Amino acid sequence: MFYLSQVLNAKVRDSADHYVGRVKDVLVRPIAGEYSPVTYIEIRQRRGCNIFIPINNVSGLTREHVDLKTVFNPNADGVCESPPDTHILLAHEIVDQQIVDTNGARVVRVNDLRIGNIDNILAVVGIDISFKGILRRLGLDFLDFLNLLSVKLIDWRDAQPIKGFLKLKILSKDMQKLHPADLANIIENLGVKHGSHLVRSLDSNAAAKALEEVDPDLQKVLIKYLGPELASDILANMPEEEVADLLQTMSRDDARVFLSYVKNTNKANRVENLIKYEKDVAGGMMTMDFVSVGPEWTVEQTEREIKKRSPSLRSMLYVYVVDGEGKFLGSVSLRWIIVSPGKTKMGELIKKIPRGSHIHPDDEVDHIMKVMTKYDLYTAAVVDDENNLVGIVTIDDVMRHLVPNA
Amino acid sequence: MIKFLKSVWPKVLFFFAVIGPGIIAANADNDAGGITTYSIVGAHFGTSMLWILLLITFSLAITQEMGVRIGLVTRQGLGGVIRENFGLRWTALAMVVMLVANLGTMTAEFAGVAASFSLIGVSKYVAVPFAALAVWLILYKGSFKTTQKIFLIFSAFYLVYIINGFVVGPDFGKAVGDMFHPQVQLNTPFFLAMIALIGTTITPWGQFFIQSYVVDKGLDIKHYKAEKIEVFFGAFLTNIVSFFIIISTAATLYKHGIRITDAADAARALEPIAGHLAQMLFAFGLFSASMLGAFILPVATSYAICEAFGWESGFNTTWKTGKIFYTIILISIILPALIVLWPKISLVTVMILSQDLNGALLPVILIFVMKIINSKHIMGDYVNKPIGNIIAWLTIVGIIGATAVLVGSSILGYN
Repeated sequence: MFYLSQVLNAKVRDSADHYVGRVKDVLVRPIAGEYSPVTYIEIRQRRGCNIFIPINNVSGLTREHVDLKTVFNPNADGVCESPPDTHILLAHEIVDQQIVDTNGARVVRVNDLRIGNIDNILAVVGIDISFKGILRRLGLDFLDFLNLLSVKLIDWRDAQPIKGFLKLKILSKDMQKLHPADLANIIENLGVKHGSHLVRSLDSNAAAKALEEVDPDLQKVLIKYLGPELASDILANMPEEEVADLLQTMSRDDARVFLSYVKNTNKANRVENLIKYEKDVAGGMMTMDFVSVGPEWTVEQTEREIKKRSPSLRSMLYVYVVDGEGKFLGSVSLRWIIVSPGKTKMGELIKKIPRGSHIHPDDEVDHIMKVMTKYDLYTAAVVDDENNLVGIVTIDDVMRHLVPNA
Repeated sequence: MIKFLKSVWPKVLFFFAVIGPGIIAANADNDAGGITTYSIVGAHFGTSMLWILLLITFSLAITQEMGVRIGLVTRQGLGGVIRENFGLRWTALAMVVMLVANLGTMTAEFAGVAASFSLIGVSKYVAVPFAALAVWLILYKGSFKTTQKIFLIFSAFYLVYIINGFVVGPDFGKAVGDMFHPQVQLNTPFFLAMIALIGTTITPWGQFFIQSYVVDKGLDIKHYKAEKIEVFFGAFLTNIVSFFIIISTAATLYKHGIRITDAADAARALEPIAGHLAQMLFAFGLFSASMLGAFILPVATSYAICEAFGWESGFNTTWKTGKIFYTIILISIILPALIVLWPKISLVTVMILSQDLNGALLPVILIFVMKIINSKHIMGDYVNKPIGNIIAWLTIVGIIGATAVLVGSSILGYN
């Protein structure tokens, strides 16, 4: 086990004890979710040209010197003059760069790398992000002669390097498992450039979910930075109210351009409807993701509908009952649907609803909170002047409004 | 008229949308150290240093523009760019340099607070701890943006100097003549004032600040032209103010042979316009200038260091995860405040020497900036043009030369 910084610049000698050069870099072949095996070392020769030698031609890689198994021959098999594709240069592309520690869901910088034998194969095993790593690289580790500082290593498999890895679209499994809110935080910390690389390597559904949680200012910049095609994919995966929120932060011209990226005309129209409302009234906060059924539907039919629609909905607590013209009749909680006999008509399950328990698109947050608190609602139906059900406001929407930076 | 407004308004709005980095950085340049340095330059050397001011107006414009360009292209703060391209050793050097320079500037800000309160008879032992606490509380609990705006508005105080410059009726002909007539006195005070003049106008932190600002605001390369105009305008504006501070003090203090030893002396330059209110007015101006700097600096310092070393930063982190971020902020508030509280310390000396420190350290940061901006690998098509390189290198060489002369003369004992 040794640190990368300890072998960099070590002298390289071949089997005839001739001086070849100094170690400039160590290359690995990244494999998602595994310790990446060392594949090549890059050697800086006297005349300043660099050469890459396969690791199986190296007999000893230690702190002081590196030995080759054979006599050095620049034309030997496997020796190359430029870094082979799909390999990563550790010193150049990993050290000093940002990586995501997927375990802690945070962005850190790599101070050093730990290399060791795993099943007799030399591989990168850990990432040193500690202050001690900084001292080691500055040659100041003697300062810590009392050993007060401890080395903090991140398991290589739990890390998501940014620079070289995203180019190869290698995403660790843990990265994909991160909660969208954590992903969003990471994107914010990476900044626009690296953050957009990360967004690019996520699938568009995950990207959309993460992007929704990103700070609105950065969100706007990112989506512009991603380019029309990807932006269009991501917007397609975002719920309408989020798209509307995003477009509202943009200038009118930009908003028009991005609205044109929304390929689904139905969706584009609904987004346009949402944009009309201010952000802090029910119309601007509401979502159109809800399940509505007719009063003549049976509980069985409704259950099938719920199962069908569920994958595309963020959350579902009530099913809304509307008549043939879209007029709001009432809501039925999932609990009632589950406990009622299958043949019951939905219309029969509606309780008499007080007029005050639903809200109007122009109602402000204060009023919405009062209604939700008074009637103990997790979601409130938004009903317009003609009694049409136009959307629902969930408690999440209200919370997000109250605590925008969480 | 309305039609005209309608056609012009969007452009005005666009301009105000990108207004910020250049103007704020330029304004914050005229902090406590700035006012003091310009006052001393005018009071002790008359208008003879105006040629340097003219030259560094171009230097300021060029260096700030480079910061903007690096920010727009790399989308990263200067600390991050240095770390990713020069490795850890150089990063450590750059960060130590910036930290030392910024601690110096923070000391000047608190000295400014102390000096302004001394004018209204409040002891520094009360004023400085109170100001330090206020800075911390507002950074930690309050709104950084609102506070920054308030002090920016207060900095309109500088207009007083411009009006004052006309009221005093200085010799504009000589002033303009001196701008184009380089003259040097071979003595330590002259070089001290000269390096302070450069170091207070072009600062290491200004270089970090403008780049982060561009990045945080999410400005795009398409804003480059507007941003460039704004930065040039900011550089011009700040040095117009400096120009008037210098000619105001030259026409009042220099003429009567008054040397500045404390804030009250410097305040007398405002007597032609403010009469017996001059002390109050100067106290207010110095205080708001100091506070503007005192808010920006600790955060700018901490962000840059944390970015370079990959530590978590931002006021939304908890104490546990953002330990280092908060520690650096606290250090850059408490340590400078303690220095100013040292009994018998000369506030004016602190303010001008801190600017000398900034000036002497500036070349280190500027060389990094030059290496970055000329790297095709980093900047692509946006590498520097020859004219920018010439001006920037002349600035760097000029400061190093002046510092060498200063160090040499103080060792050899010329005075």
